[in-house]
Amino acid sequence: MSDVLDTVTDSGHDAHADHGHADVEHGAHGSSGLSNNKLAMWLFLGSDCLLFGGLISTYMLYRGRVQRGPNPNELYNIPFTSVSSFVLLMSSLTMVLAVTAAGRNDDRRMRIWLCTTAFLGSLFVGAQVFEFRSFYLKGLGFTTNLFGSSFFTLTGFHGVHVTLGVIMLLSIVGMTLRGKIPGRKAEVVELIGLYWHFVDIVWIVIFTLVYLIPS
Amino acid sequence: MLGGFALTLTGCAGNAPQDTWKPSGKYARSIDNLQEPIFVAAGVVGLVVFAAVVYCIVKFRERPGHDSIPHQSHGNPKVEISLTALSAAILLTVAVPTVNTLFEISNRPKDTALEVTVIGQQWWWEFQYKTPGMEGIVTATELVIPVGKKVRLSVTSRDVIHSFWIPKLNGKRDAVPNRVQPLNMEATTPGIYEGQCTEYCGLSHANMRQRVVALSDADFATWVANQLKPAAKPAKVKDATTGELVDTPQSGGEAAFIANCARCHQVNGLVDDKGDPQNSKADEQLVSGAAPNLTHLMSRSVFAGGMFDLSLPSAACSPKTAKYTAEHPTGTPDGCLNRADLEAWLRNAPAVKPMYSIQNKDKLYRGMPNLNLSEADIDKLVAYLTTLK
Amino acid sequence: MAIIERPRELAPASFVSPKQAAGSFHRPVQTKGWKSWFFTIDHKKLGIMYGVAAMFFFLVGGTEALLIRIQLAQPNGKFVNAQLYNELFTTHGTTMVFLFVMPMAAAFANYFVPLQIGARDVAFPRMNAFGFWCFLSGGIFLYLSPLLGGLPDGGWFAYAPNTGPIFSPSHGMDFWALALQITGIASLTGSINLIVTILNMRAPGMKMMMMPVFTWMILVVQFLLVFAIPVITVALFLLTFQRRFGATFFDVKAGADPLLWQHLFWLFGHPEVYILILPSFGIVSEVLPVFAKKPLFGYKFVVFSGAAIGFMGWGVWAHHMFASGLGPISVMVFSLTTMFIAVPTGVKIINWVGTLWGGTLRFTTAMMFAIGLIVEFTIGGLSGVTHAVSPSDTQQTDTYYIIAHFHYVLFGGAVFGLFAGFYYWWPKVFGRMLDEKLGKINFWLMVIGTNFTFGPMHIVGLQGQPRRMYTYKAGYGFGPWNLVETIGSFIIALAVGTFLWNVVKTNGITGKKPRTAPLDPWDARTYEWMTTSPPKEHNFDSIPVVSHLDEFFHRKYAEDANGNMVKVATGEEILADQIAHADKHIHMPSPSYWPLVLAVSLPIIALGVIFSTYLAVVGGAICVMAAYGWAIEPSTADESDFENPAGPSTEVTVHV
Repeated sequence: MSDVLDTVTDSGHDAHADHGHADVEHGAHGSSGLSNNKLAMWLFLGSDCLLFGGLISTYMLYRGRVQRGPNPNELYNIPFTSVSSFVLLMSSLTMVLAVTAAGRNDDRRMRIWLCTTAFLGSLFVGAQVFEFRSFYLKGLGFTTNLFGSSFFTLTGFHGVHVTLGVIMLLSIVGMTLRGKIPGRKAEVVELIGLYWHFVDIVWIVIFTLVYLIPS
Repeated sequence: MLGGFALTLTGCAGNAPQDTWKPSGKYARSIDNLQEPIFVAAGVVGLVVFAAVVYCIVKFRERPGHDSIPHQSHGNPKVEISLTALSAAILLTVAVPTVNTLFEISNRPKDTALEVTVIGQQWWWEFQYKTPGMEGIVTATELVIPVGKKVRLSVTSRDVIHSFWIPKLNGKRDAVPNRVQPLNMEATTPGIYEGQCTEYCGLSHANMRQRVVALSDADFATWVANQLKPAAKPAKVKDATTGELVDTPQSGGEAAFIANCARCHQVNGLVDDKGDPQNSKADEQLVSGAAPNLTHLMSRSVFAGGMFDLSLPSAACSPKTAKYTAEHPTGTPDGCLNRADLEAWLRNAPAVKPMYSIQNKDKLYRGMPNLNLSEADIDKLVAYLTTLK
Repeated sequence: MAIIERPRELAPASFVSPKQAAGSFHRPVQTKGWKSWFFTIDHKKLGIMYGVAAMFFFLVGGTEALLIRIQLAQPNGKFVNAQLYNELFTTHGTTMVFLFVMPMAAAFANYFVPLQIGARDVAFPRMNAFGFWCFLSGGIFLYLSPLLGGLPDGGWFAYAPNTGPIFSPSHGMDFWALALQITGIASLTGSINLIVTILNMRAPGMKMMMMPVFTWMILVVQFLLVFAIPVITVALFLLTFQRRFGATFFDVKAGADPLLWQHLFWLFGHPEVYILILPSFGIVSEVLPVFAKKPLFGYKFVVFSGAAIGFMGWGVWAHHMFASGLGPISVMVFSLTTMFIAVPTGVKIINWVGTLWGGTLRFTTAMMFAIGLIVEFTIGGLSGVTHAVSPSDTQQTDTYYIIAHFHYVLFGGAVFGLFAGFYYWWPKVFGRMLDEKLGKINFWLMVIGTNFTFGPMHIVGLQGQPRRMYTYKAGYGFGPWNLVETIGSFIIALAVGTFLWNVVKTNGITGKKPRTAPLDPWDARTYEWMTTSPPKEHNFDSIPVVSHLDEFFHRKYAEDANGNMVKVATGEEILADQIAHADKHIHMPSPSYWPLVLAVSLPIIALGVIFSTYLAVVGGAICVMAAYGWAIEPSTADESDFENPAGPSTEVTVHV
C-alpha cells in the first residue's frame, strides 16, 4: 500500500525537472492540460479501479460458496451498513468544502473541513471494525469459507484505503499547521480529494454489489 | 517455412508414439485436417516475408561511392491498407474452418458407446466406467476402449490441475478439481495410444503417463467380462504331514497385502481370513484420497502411473501392441512379468519415482511412501499380485 | 561542482527554517563515488543501473536455462533431480520475464524517453529512483529464497491449487508472490511516471504524432502496465493470503474454482506479453530508419497498430486456457480475437520491410539485430497464429511447440531488439563505440544459437514432447533434437559472452584506451542525438523546438532545388548552436535517501509476512518513516547542503 502514500506524498514537489525556465510553477500544466500531479493521481486511480475490479470479481464468484459457517444473508445488517455508508458519502461533501476552502486560501476553514472529513472517515472505519467483529462472533472468520475470505479481503482492502486517506488528511492538516507543506497547498488538497472521492465511489459499488444484491 | 520444415521432419520421424500429426481417430483427424493447411499457409506467408527481407538486403545494400540519401518516403497508404486487408482476409479464411472444427470436436456425439470418468491425481490417472453394464470397472493409467466407437470422457481431478492428452486421438483437456469437463475420443484402428499429463502438476509431473488401448468389439467384450469379476482369494494348501492349511506364496502375499497395501489400494472382493471385506480408506492416508485400484493389475501393461512396463519388452511378450492386450485380456503371462521394476517399486517406491512420501501436517502422503518391506514380503506380494488377473 | 557534504552543525532550534527541519540529514548531493549512484534521481544514471541489474539477472536466468538444457540433453537425464528441475524452470521464467526483459526495457525507457522528447528528467525523479530500488529489492528478495527455505517450484504461471500450502509446502512460492508484488510496485510507479512525462513534458512543438516511435511504444506499454499490474496484484494477494493466513481462495476442498487464478493471471499475463515485446518493436523502429536512411514506412500505421495491440491485448487472455475447459463458445470468441490481434502485429512487419525497401542499407550490428528480429519474430508470430486455431492449439499447448513459439517471440523478438538497442545507443550512453567486428560475431552466434535451440522445439513439440518435464523416456523421437537444442543453448551463451567481452574490451576495462564515439556516429534521426554523448546531467543546454518527425534529420538535411536531400548542417553545428543559446537557469532536483530507504523497507515487510510479525512491524516503521521523510523533503536540496552555497548571482545554477 506504500504506493498509495507514495504517489500522493510525491505530488507536491517532484514536478519540476522543468523545461529550462526556472520560474515554472510547481505542477505546471503540461501538454495534457492536467498538472503532472493530477495526471499521476488519475492514472493511479485508474489502476486502483482494476485492483478493486479483481477483488469484486473474486467476491462475486465466491459469495455463494459457503460449505460451512454462516452465509451472507444471515450476517448482513443492511440498516447499520447503510448508515455507515451515508457517513462516508457525507465525508465526500466535507472534502469538497475543504478543497473549495483551500482554493480560496482559507486555511482555517480548510483545516476544519479536512478534520471533519477525517473524522467521518474514521467513523466509517470504526463501523467497519465493529461489523467485522460482529461477523466474527457469529462464526464467520477469514478462513471459515470462501465467502468469508473474499468478503474480508474486499472490504478490508477498501477499509485500508479509507484508513490511508484519513492518515493523509491528518498529515496534511499537520503540515499546514507547521507550514511545511511542499508545493501548492490547494493542489495537494485537491489530489487527496480525488483519492477520497474515488474511495467513496468504490464503496458505493461495493455496497450495492456486496450488501444489496442478494446472493 | 518452418511449418513446412517441421512437417517434413515429423513426417520422417519413425518412432514417435505421441506425434500430433499422425492421427488415429476421428477427432484428432479433424484437428489435423484443419492444422495442416494452416501450417502450410503460415509457411508460405513466412517465405514471402523472408524473400522480401532477403530481396531488400541484396537490392538496397549500401554500395561504395553511392551514399546519397534515398527518397524520404513516409509510406504508401494504399500499399499499407491493402496488405493489412490481405492479412485480415487470410485470417478470416482461417477463422471459418476453425470455428467449424471447434464445434465438431466439442459437441457431444449422439452415438456415444462408452462413458468414462477420468480422474487425475498426483501422479496417475484413474478411469471409472459409467456405461450401464460396466459400472464398477475401475482401472488406472490404462483406458481400454472399443475401436471405432465414440467415447465420451468426463475429466476431473482430485488434487491439482492435470491434463489428459492422447495426441493421436484428440487434443488435451485439463483435469480441474471441482469441475468435470468433457472430452470426446474415438480410435479408428486397434492399438495402444500413448499420452502424458500435460499440465504441470508438481514433483513427478514428468512421470504421469496414460495410454488408451483400443480393442475390437469382441476383445473389448472379453476384457469387460474379466474386469467385472472380483479378485479370487488364493487358496491355502493342506500340509501333507500335519494336514493343516498353510500359506502358499500367493495366499501369504494376500495377507501381506492386507497388512501393508489394502489401506490405500482397493482390490474388489478382497476379504481377510475371517471373511471381513477389506475396503481401502485411502482418504485417511493420501492428500488425493485415492490410490490405484489393483483388482486387475495384471491386465494392464504398465504400472506406477505409466512409469514402468509391467511386461518385459521381449519379442515373446511384445506389450507394445493392442494385440497383446487382446491376447491376454486376463493379464500378463508369468514369464513376461517385469519382476525387477515391480520389486524395486515395492522395495522403495519414492526412490524410483519422485514423490512427497513424508507425511504432511495433516498426516497425509502424496504418492506412495517407502513401506520398508522385507524381501520375503516383497516376494510374497509379487506372487499375490500376479494372481490379480 | 565539487560538492561534499558539510560537517553537520547543530543549529539552535529557533534558527530552524522549515526546509532544514524537513530532515535532520543533509542531502546526498555528491556527484562522484557510490553515493552519487545510490541516491541519484537522475533518469540516466537510473537507466544505466536498471540495465546493469537486468543484465545480471539475464545471466542468472541464462545459467538456469543452461542447467535445464544439460538435464534434457539426453533421455533419462540425471544431472538435476525433479525438485531442482521444477525450481529451475520456475525461476528461469520468473527471472527472464520480471527481472530481465521488463527492467531492461525500463532501462531503455528511463534513459531515452526524456531524451527523445526533450525533457530534462522524468516527471517524478524520486519516484523513478524508488522504482529502480523496488525492482532490485524484489529481485534480491526472490533469490533469498534458496537460503531461507527453498526456491519457488510452482512454475512462473503458478497455477492454483498446485501453489497452495498443501502442494507447495516450502517457502518458495511465498518468496515468489511477495517478490513479484514488490517488482509490481516498481512497474506501477514507473509506468505512471513515464506516462506523465510523455504526455506533459515534451519539447515545445513536439506533437504526439511527432514523437519517436520508441517513445510511442513505451507509452503504450506503460498504459498496459498501469492496468495490468493491479490484476496480478490481486492474484498475488489472494495467493499470499491463502498461503500465509489460511484464506480459502484456491482451496479446492472449500469449493474454490482453480480457474479464478488462471483468469486473473492471464488477464495480466497476456498484456504482459506485449509489455515485453513492444519496447523492442520501438527500438527496431528507431534502428531500421537510421540504417536505411529513410523514415519509418507508415509511421502512423505503426503507432496506431501499437495502440491497437494495446487495446486488443486485453481481449485475448483466455487463449492461454483453450485446454482449461472454458466451453466451446468462449473458446470460439477468444480464438477469433486472437486471430485479429495478429493483424496489427502483421502491420508492423509489413512496415519494417517497407522501411528497408528503397533505402540505402548499412549493415551495422544494430541493423543486423533489427533485421534478425524481423525474421525471427515472423517465425514466432506465425506459430502464434497456429495457436489461435483453438482445436489445433489443444494439441500444441503445453508442449515444446509453445516453448518454441514464445522463445521466437521473446528471444528472437524482445531480446534481439534489446541487443539492437545496446549496439545502437551504446555510444550515446557511454560516449564510446562497441567493437563492430565482435558485434557481428555476437549477432551470428546469436542467430545460429537461437535457431538451434528453439527451432527443433517446434518438431519435438509436434511429436508430443510436453513442457515442464524434468525427464523424458527414450523411444519417442525426442532425444536427438533435444541434444541439438542443448548445443544451441551453449551457442547462445557464447553469443552473450561475446557481447560482455565486447563491453569489457571497448570501455577501458582491460586497460586499452577506449575509442571515443563521434557525436553522431550513425547519422541518426531523432532528438536524443542532439546533445552530447553521454548527455549532461540536465540533458540539453537549451530545449530545441520541434517542427518535424525525425527532427534531428531535418536539421541536418534539406531538399535542394532538384528535390534531392543534401546535408546542410552537422550534428556538431547543431549542438554548438544549442550550447550558444543555453538556458540561464536550470534547476535540477536533488538526490535523496528516501527512495532507497522506502524500497528497502518493502522486502523487510515481506520477510516479516513470511517469518515474523515483529519483522513486518519494523519494516512497516521504516516504510512510514521514509514516506514522511519523502513527503516533507523539498525536491531541491537546501543551499546549506552544498559545500559552497551557490549565490544568487551565479549565472547557471546547476545543482548536480
